[in-house]
Amino acid sequence: MATIKVTDLRKEFVTDTSTVVAIENVSFEVGGHEFVSVVGPSGCGKSTLLNILSGIESATRGTVDITEGDRQAKLGYVFQSARLLPWRSVIDNLLFVQSTRGPQVRARCERYLDMVQLAHTARQYPGQLSGGMQQRVGIARAFSIEPDLLLMDEPFSHLDAITARSLRRELHAMWQETRKTVLFVTHDVSEAVELSTRIIMLARGGRLVADLPVELPFPRDPASDAVALARADLLRRFESLDLLAT
Amino acid sequence: MQTNLRPRRPAAPPSPGGDERAARRRAERRARWLWRIAGYVFFVGLWQFTSSFLVADFIVPPPAVILTEMWDIIASGQVWVHFGATLRTIAIGFAIAFVLGSATGLLMGRSRWWEAFLSDWVMATLTTPGLIFALVTAMIFGLGPTGPIVAVVVTSFSYVTVNVVEGVKAVPRDLTDMARSFGRGPAQILRHVYLPFLAPYFFTATRYGFSIAWKIATLAEVIVGTAGIGFMMRQQFQQFSMRGFLAWVLLFFAFALFLERVVLQRRMRHVLRWRPEVAR
Amino acid sequence: MTTVGTFRTLALSPPGRRVGSLLRHPRAARVLSWVGFVAAWQLVVPFLPTDLVPTPSEVAVFMWNELRMETVAPHTVYESFSLSFQRLGVGLFLAFAIGVPLGLLMGLRRWADWFLHDFVVVGLAMPSLVWALVAGMWFGFGDLAPVVTVTLAAVTFVVINVAEGVRNVPKELLDMSGAYGVSRYATIRHVIFPSLMPFFFAALRYGLANAWKGLVLAEVWASTEGAGWVIKFWYDAHRSQGIVGYALFFIIVAIFIERIVFGRLSRWVFRWRPSDDRRTPEPEATDRDEAVPAAVPAATPGRQ
Repeated sequence: MATIKVTDLRKEFVTDTSTVVAIENVSFEVGGHEFVSVVGPSGCGKSTLLNILSGIESATRGTVDITEGDRQAKLGYVFQSARLLPWRSVIDNLLFVQSTRGPQVRARCERYLDMVQLAHTARQYPGQLSGGMQQRVGIARAFSIEPDLLLMDEPFSHLDAITARSLRRELHAMWQETRKTVLFVTHDVSEAVELSTRIIMLARGGRLVADLPVELPFPRDPASDAVALARADLLRRFESLDLLAT
Repeated sequence: MQTNLRPRRPAAPPSPGGDERAARRRAERRARWLWRIAGYVFFVGLWQFTSSFLVADFIVPPPAVILTEMWDIIASGQVWVHFGATLRTIAIGFAIAFVLGSATGLLMGRSRWWEAFLSDWVMATLTTPGLIFALVTAMIFGLGPTGPIVAVVVTSFSYVTVNVVEGVKAVPRDLTDMARSFGRGPAQILRHVYLPFLAPYFFTATRYGFSIAWKIATLAEVIVGTAGIGFMMRQQFQQFSMRGFLAWVLLFFAFALFLERVVLQRRMRHVLRWRPEVAR
Repeated sequence: MTTVGTFRTLALSPPGRRVGSLLRHPRAARVLSWVGFVAAWQLVVPFLPTDLVPTPSEVAVFMWNELRMETVAPHTVYESFSLSFQRLGVGLFLAFAIGVPLGLLMGLRRWADWFLHDFVVVGLAMPSLVWALVAGMWFGFGDLAPVVTVTLAAVTFVVINVAEGVRNVPKELLDMSGAYGVSRYATIRHVIFPSLMPFFFAALRYGLANAWKGLVLAEVWASTEGAGWVIKFWYDAHRSQGIVGYALFFIIVAIFIERIVFGRLSRWVFRWRPSDDRRTPEPEATDRDEAVPAAVPAATPGRQ
């Protein structure tokens, strides 16, 4: 369970002709057994925020501290597409991201593969799996390094509705079991309501416009009245915030 | 209440349809082979007809004469001497070109500066006719095997480079980002992301470079060789022996085809076995 | 605990670093490579054990004299090249006259494909040297051997590309034309012909390249004039600046054809395609060079 502390974060992209602000002075804190969704329209800097947290990109200004107790936190990343190495078998893809080797590491990888019900595919190449299965391997890979914090970038947006729904259920179970901190980026408000304990809303131009707790008991059935009401309430709130203005 | 989701009509029993399709496929395969054989028969017949009725034997020798000539070349052991000489030239030259070209390609693909520094020269060697390199190396190194080897290095080098540059530029950014966000170092990224991704490009480079190497090696041998396929072609050309010339060309073809189709492609299938279309 | 830190990327570089960053520009690399190459060539040649490597200045003088038509060769560079181009033109015309009908047949009828395929593949793989020597033996010294070489070297490229083009005519567009009752003429004119264009271009480009190589070789061994023959002349005269000079003429001609002729033509023929420079730059397009990150430390929070 990691703590994220983001203070006055700003990110600009400088091209030859103009400067585009992707994130504007965003501050928030996340800690403990939280599942935080970052929601917003496309182009609001959600993915950029995750890239900065994971170190793929650097910020223009501001600080990011990700800690676990008094040490640095370990991060696991799930991408929009699975991003598996197509030339390595499924189990080798998990082993590729491990910082240590050995039989117990291998056993751990196999355990997480089993958790996403893909133990039988360990020796296959990613190209032989369906899109949903590949994404499950991606999730297993992120969990297999036993991270303190999981960063997820719209992991279900490329999947069909039925596969996405079953994967959401699987992810929720794994989160409950492993008690990780999760930062989950999505443009889908229903998904956010179904999974998260807290929702952070970004508007165009990377402004943070809302930070709300979601106080509904788990398990949340997406078809239930309570979830539908919460979703409707949230959408109404967001509409009043004029998210598309820059 | 009944749902409308069950299939309206029962699925047709699979066997007759499958049989029909298989039969059609068989018929098509038979037709293909018939036409193919007809093609060979037609061309060999045309050849035979031309040499027996239209022109003199020494201009278009009949197929049977070429076949006996080929057999004589093989039986006398000449074929091994000269193919060996040419193969040695190609192997040495191409090995050097491959190492140099891969290194240059990696450098050019990774750095814009080096790309700008080198690309004009790579393009220049690519567009210069092979004859020029054959002649210049012939002049500098004179008779013997060195000139052809250098000519092979210079010409196939740029083919390797161009393909490797293309590959390095196409390395998927999302995979390298993934590897970095999981904390993998440069050596691991090179070994597990770059090299496997580049493998097909290396193969294309090898195939193109190799076919270029064959051509330039024989060309250089025609000019300064003391042995080799090109040397034999020149001898036959100077004696106006169409018979010997065609026999050597056909042997050359058989050998080049064998190396490319069988040896190289088998290697490629092994390295690219992770691809779904190869695994099938 | 790590910190991304407080950075401003747009800070102006101090004057001392400006020269360095100028040198890091790719255009500087290009200039440097030309200057460096020519200088190195000029300086190294005197120390070589052979006197058969020409210096750049010798080559430049040779080329300048050739262009002023002062030459010891029996033909000027203009005469030689124009003769070669005539042979190339006639040979290519014949290659298209033979290759296009064959290619159409192979693309439209499967039996024709099965009948001819193996021979076309052999023709594609045949070194142009072989065509040149065969044509030389058949037709002796004259115009016929080079022209036949050009035709033989180009025709298979035409056949294979036209056949491939016919097979690649988009079926859904043909279906659409059928559904709207478009006339046969209009379908050929507006659907089939435009989709064949890229393949015609490929045929012309590869056919021309291969034919040009064959032509030069045929002129070396089976002709007494033309650009290829002049190269042979300089070789026999042991004047290597002649060979290198002619090689540079060849490259200049090749670049001219590639950039000006093909470039213009394809830009006009394919003007309906979205061009590359109309694409907007992506914000994350950072420099792949190692030069830039010095200003922005690569921060990796959570790890290191």
